[in-house]
Amino acid sequence: MTAVLAALAAVALCVAQWFIWVYAPVEQSMGVVQKIFYIHLPLAWWALGSFFVVFVASVLMLVKKDNRWDRLAGASCELGVLFSGLALITGSLWGKPIWNVWWTWDPRLTTTLIMWFVYSAYLILRQSGAGGERGPVVRAALGVVAFLDVPLVFYSARKWRSIHPTVFGSQGGGLEPEMLTTILVSIAAVGLFWAALLSLRSRQLGQGAALRHVFLHQTR
Amino acid sequence: MLSASLKIAGKDLRLCLRGAQGLAQTALLGLLIIFVFSLSRKPGEEVPALAAAAIFWLSTLFSQVLVFSGLYALEEGNGARMGLAMAPIAPQAVWLGKALAGLTLVLACQLVFGVAVAAFLGQSVSGSMPLALGCVVVVDVGLVALGSLMGALASGKTSRESLLTVIFFPLIIPVLLAGIRVLEGVILGGEGLDSSLDWLGLAGAFAAVFSAAALVLFPFIYTGEE
Repeated sequence: MTAVLAALAAVALCVAQWFIWVYAPVEQSMGVVQKIFYIHLPLAWWALGSFFVVFVASVLMLVKKDNRWDRLAGASCELGVLFSGLALITGSLWGKPIWNVWWTWDPRLTTTLIMWFVYSAYLILRQSGAGGERGPVVRAALGVVAFLDVPLVFYSARKWRSIHPTVFGSQGGGLEPEMLTTILVSIAAVGLFWAALLSLRSRQLGQGAALRHVFLHQTR
Repeated sequence: MLSASLKIAGKDLRLCLRGAQGLAQTALLGLLIIFVFSLSRKPGEEVPALAAAAIFWLSTLFSQVLVFSGLYALEEGNGARMGLAMAPIAPQAVWLGKALAGLTLVLACQLVFGVAVAAFLGQSVSGSMPLALGCVVVVDVGLVALGSLMGALASGKTSRESLLTVIFFPLIIPVLLAGIRVLEGVILGGEGLDSSLDWLGLAGAFAAVFSAAALVLFPFIYTGEE
């Protein structure tokens, strides 16, 4: 399963590169910098997808009490932190030439950054072994709480900003058909890559848990 | 559940206030933060209301971390947590009891911080004082609802405070922004107050969401197990 997904992801990512550099036209006002968008948007979307998987897996962990869900939540959270971190960096790289700042108080940016903090804390909690044997349940509770925070963070960031006049007009809107196709191909390619990593990491965590189980039983 | 919560809150307050060491430490930390921030301005330079409000809530947040890690540490010795978990009460009563005790302690600290912000940062309340107090309490309710839940989550570890800080701070940001805006409005008074009162709705929503989450999740988190 993991090998198939990884092979598909490798091919898809190559295809996406062709779409990005050959098929999609160069944007008129932004120039070649705009190409970052084709990698930035899929990263941001799949990061959000990862956080949703953390939430669903956490709920299932609380209901079913099966550690498999805890491992899925952990793997997904690692990917979410990685992808949202990369999305923030690529966004910043795009923002410097286009907006002339590395960072601005935009609701989406702020929400992503705060979520990055929250889920990094979740990973630290995982590493710290908090809760002992009940760790999976404790982490699942945090997984649920963290996701409940997302709409509140987004709403408050938007409200905070609305007090100040915005320097940048709202972007987006009409995309060229070629650009739209490219972004969809990119989303699909990064999605395959994401799925391959998620499957690999869940399996690794599962094998780690199995090894620990064997070790504990032998030393007793 | 309410009477059990009040008993737990009473017990915790008696234990925390005995010798007042815990509360004094908490208030001192907040005062230090306010003092250090007052150094960011040149002597005689005015501190904007927004900055003063942010400093007030930052002190509150740090003191709250100490308050809740202290409240949950009370049951760490001699298997007292097991006793509390086995008591014939709803587990949520522990959450509510700790939240009530925490609210009392945080409000006590905020009395000191309020005076310190007025003195060190040269602020005064232009609007009505009862309204100011009401606003602070609404925001505090959101803070302690989540604080009590997170305190239980980080309990039983040696790295309690640092862990609690790193989990608690990012989650609390929506209600922190609300608190800062509301307090800014209260300090400025007049027209600024109307727009900042909108934020009270957000603080209320935050308190409601995390109280509901705590009622569902707390029994999973708080058990007698080591």
